[in-house]
Amino acid sequence: MPIAENEVKWVTVPKAGLLEQLYLPAIFQGLQTTVRHATKTLFGGGAVTQQFPEVEPKLPPNYRGVHRLNRDEQGRVKCVACYMCSTACPAHCIDIVAAPSPWPDREKYPETFVIDELRCIYCGMCEQACPVDAIELTTLYDLSGFSREALMFDKEKLLSVFDETVKAGTDPIRTRSGRLSVASELPADTGLTSSSSAQS
Amino acid sequence: MELGFSFWITLLFIAIMMGVLQGTCAYLILAERKISAWAQDRLGPNRVGPWGLLQPIADGIKFLLKEDIIPNHVDKLFYLLAPCITVGTALLAFAVVPFGPTTPPPVLVDYRQNPPQTAWPQTIEEEKAILDADHKHAEQTNDKTYEEKLKEYNDTIQFVIAPHVDIGIVFNFAIGSLAVYGVLLGGWSSNDKYSMLGGLRSSAQLISYEIPMGLSVLGVLAVTGSLNLETIIDYQVKHGWNVLYQPLAALLFITSVFAECNRLPFDLPEAEQELVGGYHTEYSAMKFALFFLGEYTHMITTSFLVAIMFFGGWQLLPGIAMPDGVGGAILKLIVFAIKMALFIIFFMLIRWTLPRFRFDQLMGLSWKVLLPLALVNVVCVIVIKQLHLSDWLLLPLSIATLFIVAGFALYMPQQRPRAPVRVAGHVASGLPAVLHDEAVID
Amino acid sequence: MATVYVNGKPVDIGNEKLNLIQAAQKAGVLIPHYCWHPALTVVASCRMCLVEVGERKPDGSITMQPKVVPACQTPAKDGTVIVTNSNKAKFAQEQTLEDLLLNHPLDCPVCDKAGECLLQDYTFNFGRAQSRMIDEKNTPPNKPYIGNNVTLFTDRCIMCSRCVRFTREISGTAELQIINRGHHSEIDIFPGEPLNNKLATNVVDLCPVGALCSKDFLYKQRVWNLKTRESVCADCSTGCSIWLDGNKSIVYRLRPRYNPQAQGHFMCDDGRLGYHYVNSIERFLQPMVRRDGKLTPLPWTEILPTIRQAFQSVAQKDAAGVVGVLSPFLTCEEAYLIAKFLKKLSGQVRLALGPVPILGADDTYPKDRRGRPIQPVKFTIRAEKCPNRRGVEEILRYFQGEIISFEQVVHDAAEGRVQAMYLAAGYPPRPGGWISETQAQMLQHIPLIVCHDLLPSPVSNFAHYVLPGASWAEKEGTFVNHAGLAQAIHWGVVPTGQIRTDGQVFLDLLERRGLLHAPTLRKELAAEVPYFAALARGDLGEYGIPLNDERSA
Repeated sequence: MPIAENEVKWVTVPKAGLLEQLYLPAIFQGLQTTVRHATKTLFGGGAVTQQFPEVEPKLPPNYRGVHRLNRDEQGRVKCVACYMCSTACPAHCIDIVAAPSPWPDREKYPETFVIDELRCIYCGMCEQACPVDAIELTTLYDLSGFSREALMFDKEKLLSVFDETVKAGTDPIRTRSGRLSVASELPADTGLTSSSSAQS
Repeated sequence: MELGFSFWITLLFIAIMMGVLQGTCAYLILAERKISAWAQDRLGPNRVGPWGLLQPIADGIKFLLKEDIIPNHVDKLFYLLAPCITVGTALLAFAVVPFGPTTPPPVLVDYRQNPPQTAWPQTIEEEKAILDADHKHAEQTNDKTYEEKLKEYNDTIQFVIAPHVDIGIVFNFAIGSLAVYGVLLGGWSSNDKYSMLGGLRSSAQLISYEIPMGLSVLGVLAVTGSLNLETIIDYQVKHGWNVLYQPLAALLFITSVFAECNRLPFDLPEAEQELVGGYHTEYSAMKFALFFLGEYTHMITTSFLVAIMFFGGWQLLPGIAMPDGVGGAILKLIVFAIKMALFIIFFMLIRWTLPRFRFDQLMGLSWKVLLPLALVNVVCVIVIKQLHLSDWLLLPLSIATLFIVAGFALYMPQQRPRAPVRVAGHVASGLPAVLHDEAVID
Repeated sequence: MATVYVNGKPVDIGNEKLNLIQAAQKAGVLIPHYCWHPALTVVASCRMCLVEVGERKPDGSITMQPKVVPACQTPAKDGTVIVTNSNKAKFAQEQTLEDLLLNHPLDCPVCDKAGECLLQDYTFNFGRAQSRMIDEKNTPPNKPYIGNNVTLFTDRCIMCSRCVRFTREISGTAELQIINRGHHSEIDIFPGEPLNNKLATNVVDLCPVGALCSKDFLYKQRVWNLKTRESVCADCSTGCSIWLDGNKSIVYRLRPRYNPQAQGHFMCDDGRLGYHYVNSIERFLQPMVRRDGKLTPLPWTEILPTIRQAFQSVAQKDAAGVVGVLSPFLTCEEAYLIAKFLKKLSGQVRLALGPVPILGADDTYPKDRRGRPIQPVKFTIRAEKCPNRRGVEEILRYFQGEIISFEQVVHDAAEGRVQAMYLAAGYPPRPGGWISETQAQMLQHIPLIVCHDLLPSPVSNFAHYVLPGASWAEKEGTFVNHAGLAQAIHWGVVPTGQIRTDGQVFLDLLERRGLLHAPTLRKELAAEVPYFAALARGDLGEYGIPLNDERSA
């Protein structure tokens, strides 16, 4: 979105005076600010640093960390292997192999589901693309491993992330779609109105 | 003539000063990081030792143990030579810089002439004749002879590695400007474009800023009448600090020193955002550390120089007599160290105050502002000296010069580079911002 | 000369007998349709193609019919006025789509058709965004077995009946039918008579939605991940035009591509499902040389000069003892290049046509309920199971005037008259293999055998050099079908391992520089071999170029 023209405030560059042309007062003013901050941090404890390993950071709930695969009420993987996440993924880090599902209530499920956490850019587009709210990004941020392979998270690992985060209570399921899925849903407030576009 | 210095004491000084300098450099890096952190509301390194005090040691060990990578594409000889030159010149420049109490070396006076003048004997015979005249004069006035004074001077411990160097400041500048070879060779031999650009910028910058620096010092030298740094201190102790007479020269000198040390706002040779690491992009491990060492040694040297040239050396405040003896010596050492530290802290604070110059601005500042100002300053000093006017006249003259040049810059019709700017009211709302080339900032 | 007016724009349709959908297509206007298909009879059951129709009188006045009519069963005649963008027409399209979507499960995320689904496309272009359905959707159970290769997702069906008409009209076997009435209509098979005819999987392509899916492709890939190239099926000498859908180095499926000169709209299941050997893990992946009885890898840069030198030295001693065997799976360009290489050694080098696999007799469709073919024939599966016998034969005929059969070569070899043999095989693994054990035995004593093939065979077990070949899905070139139609094939997937296309290997053997570029070679071929003169443009177009055969003409 470009800035609307009426929001732009136009100012003219002020003419410098003789004193300002020396630049020295401005330099001293700047120095003053630097010194003020330095002394305040040094003596007044104004540092914003978080002592990370000792103090856990407080992250907003929409923080985009490690992925998880959600489970449904029966504990099965919610994912239906539709490839929407891997299609939306700008980093091409999601690899899915689909298969006919072993359960009667759905047709397709992921036989394998691998996310390359090293390749991922944590943009959250997979979460937006998911039509069944199966993939979510959690607030887990301290991800590390000893090999590249260790950070290729497979289905079991991603499900265990779900188990862990749900048990810890840090990441409630945050996306939820309606009865018919998003595409066919009428916005709740408009109610059932007949088509008017054809007559217009 | 016998040696002007005691060999063993000098060796001792060299050993001590090398150790102290390198230790100081290591801790200056910590100080730099700490001050950077404080200025940015952070804590800075605090993991190694209490308040991070062991950080420099950890860094040093890391530098020593890191794999020493020499890329395939470099010119090996010059690639290895560059950090050596940087450190070598920085340390060498420190040789003539007093870092504690000193006395001015005695002056050989030719009493054969009337009035007596400072003598510069050209031949041994001439020297003998002058010394004879000096003996006679000493007998008449009951004063010490030149040789006695010299012996006394040599027997006193002078807190400078090479005392009695009459061309002290010139030596310092000469060696200091050799540092550009380190940077240039490092940049060139690395054989990569960022390093090359860093080296090129550096050479242009160092050469440009040496001129206003030298000219600004010229005024001081004209007033004190000596190139010897000990004499310059002594003059200031007797007559008051140079900064009081020549604030303009002090300002120019400090500004140029920033550029000479490659410190912000003039750190273009190693501008990280533009040149990765500048001339030391391809360096790692101890070679990289040597560049750092050289840089910080340079900073220490120039801080001492600022204190010596303009802020009275080891004198606490102008007009205050410093006590003699061992206690006095220690006091002077401390005063000197504090002055040096204050300047270095000033360097570091300025780093977080002023943004980096663009290269054309950098060159413009040197050639169009600092150089004329320095010239005017020198002319003022010479005129005043020639007419035997009071040195104090220099103070108002300096300030007036500054304002006149500022006013000149303000009202001079300017040709500014045409820069694109958006013209108000011409852009339909909702459209992305359009740049109109025809308009010019004013 | 008939002129129709599509949305006010006059279009000359000549003397063709077209319906309104085809007439509008000529004007570049898409009338959405589901049940109509150019190869099938018209039923006008889906109601998707409803348009406003009128007539322009000679005096210029226009009378419109009061109601929208289905475009598919309205013939276009001179003065017909078609309006597809009026409110009335658009409203009809919208209403039809809403009706079709009432019971559609909207399981696009798990539906294989998503991405190439006409229901999606038309809903996007002509439908409404929201459903007003508040009742439970009608979800009849899926029928996972209606045939060996086809599965039916009953709830996705929109009852266009294309599949039913296909089995009745094209294959003639009539396995599929519609059962029940109204909203409870379903596609189903007669009990105990699954959809197993050799054209069965065509119903998957015909199905405009994801109701009928190929079991072979089911859930393998989403269609938008596939790269589609024009190619030609290599499984029989009909030479069906196909779309080759692959991704990276895996072929995922083949689909028929309309070609009136070759086969029409469809293809058989043998060809459609016969591509799996391209993805086989047993394929040769690197050039190998036999050392101490074992095949050991050797880089191309070393093995090709070695082979060239070996053939040159044999040809100097006994030129007639050098034999090249050119399989009918080579493209014309490849056959040309290898023939050139071998004939350059010596004019006496003999070139033979590789074994031509023949399986049974030609199989024609439609058939009646008892499996007897009936006239008129709408689709033929040839007995000759190779794509390019004609082309290779013509090359051989050009280079040596006669065609030596493989049996002759084998016979000579058994008598010890063959000193070196280059087997440009490239045969797919079919039951029985391209060479029998006894034939291989007879070749065993040849002092120098180069086996250039896709997969291990009795010959590769003792060949002195084994070069990996590229399958037809990985190379460019020309196939000439049984009727002399030259069609271009394009590479759809990248060969794995160190495989180089056969043509590239032959170029390297010839010491010609650069990469293989089929159109350029085709021009060279057309200039040199008179039979291929018609290919002089290099580009064969969508449907290929029929080659005139002077001998038959």
